[in-house]
Amino acid sequence: MNATPVLVAYTALVGFVAPPLLVRADWPHRTPAAALVVWHALALSFSLGVALTAYHLAMPAGHPHAGVLGLLHSCGLAVLGSGADPRTAARVAVALPAVLGLALAGSFAFHAVRARLARARHRRAVDLVGRRSARLGAVVLPYDVPAAYCLPGRSPRIVVSDGAVRELTAEQLGAVLEHEQAHVTGRHHLVLAAAEAFHSVFRLLPVARHVREQTALLLEMVADDRALHGHSREALATAMYEMAAARTPRGAFGAGGRAVLIRMRRVLGPPRAPHRALSPALAALAVTVPLLPLLATCPLGLT
Amino acid sequence: MRRLGELEAEIMDRLWTWNRPATVREVVDDINLTRPVAYTTVMTVTNILYNKGWLLRGKQGRAWLYSPVRSREAYAAALMEDGLGASKDRPAALVHFVENMTEEEVAALRKALRAVGRQAKP
Repeated sequence: MNATPVLVAYTALVGFVAPPLLVRADWPHRTPAAALVVWHALALSFSLGVALTAYHLAMPAGHPHAGVLGLLHSCGLAVLGSGADPRTAARVAVALPAVLGLALAGSFAFHAVRARLARARHRRAVDLVGRRSARLGAVVLPYDVPAAYCLPGRSPRIVVSDGAVRELTAEQLGAVLEHEQAHVTGRHHLVLAAAEAFHSVFRLLPVARHVREQTALLLEMVADDRALHGHSREALATAMYEMAAARTPRGAFGAGGRAVLIRMRRVLGPPRAPHRALSPALAALAVTVPLLPLLATCPLGLT
Repeated sequence: MRRLGELEAEIMDRLWTWNRPATVREVVDDINLTRPVAYTTVMTVTNILYNKGWLLRGKQGRAWLYSPVRSREAYAAALMEDGLGASKDRPAALVHFVENMTEEEVAALRKALRAVGRQAKP
């Protein structure tokens, strides 16, 4: 018996079957933080599954004509000029998962560093152009359209336009600032960079797109929930509307529009607490899911 | 010792507010109204701003006159566009409150607000 079919089935399940189900489910929007953990567990698990599958396919399983290299050899192809030398095959088998791991880690570092440099450049300019408001805990830029964003990181800034200060009520502005503050304190940029890294490596697969999109949406929901701790649903929802409406004329690409609508319906909708057993169950799921591919191969010793 | 960025901001702030070319001496004198600062320090930092492309300069007699390359509002608009993701290649650098939307999408938002009886400006 061979572990490979089990691994392939598992990887397909995590990478192709689970994501569309998760996108359609409605519990993730009720517990966005838990859903984020599940999505990232899924991404990690899929990566592990792919790495182990590659390992098992390349590793000669006891006899010389097993594994991918053996197969190629028996088809008359000389791989690396050495035929199906088991040592070469073993080296390739170890190299494949290592390359994948390095690609993911490298991609994360690349995205995190690039974003950090972009933020630092932006922050220096914001500090020169804007006026620090101690009352708001934000930098105010002279700009008529109500807008807000944040620069997370070690030296964070929350930036609002003076249009927002003028046109939003104190309650609305408070909700917006609290939302941005949640991104900063929650270090959401690192979560985004992780999703971005996964997407770069598996960009051709739908699961990569799902992970990236859902991460962005769920992080917004986490920040919305944080803002609702101290501010009314109405303030947050109307602030969303005011800001979205003020910026429409540009409308070059409305990619995120649906996300704002989903968020607003969620904020305005009746508060639906998650089932009490949901969070522990999700936590358990999130911990076990990435480990399953390892369990499937190593301790059972399926060879 | 204040940070370099703060002095840069003080210099730019004055040049934007005065809205006319000014010498380093004028800037130093104005800052000195609130706190002591050495002429050479301000001159160095002004030079940095010039080299970074924030200031223009021209000679009048023996003194250099400095003025901002663009207005504060022009810089702010460019930063906002950048911050709000008008540039297509937006990495995980900035997180903004709402995305750019189409008119239909904003109409849908308005409908969602109306559905729960909240008032929204048309």
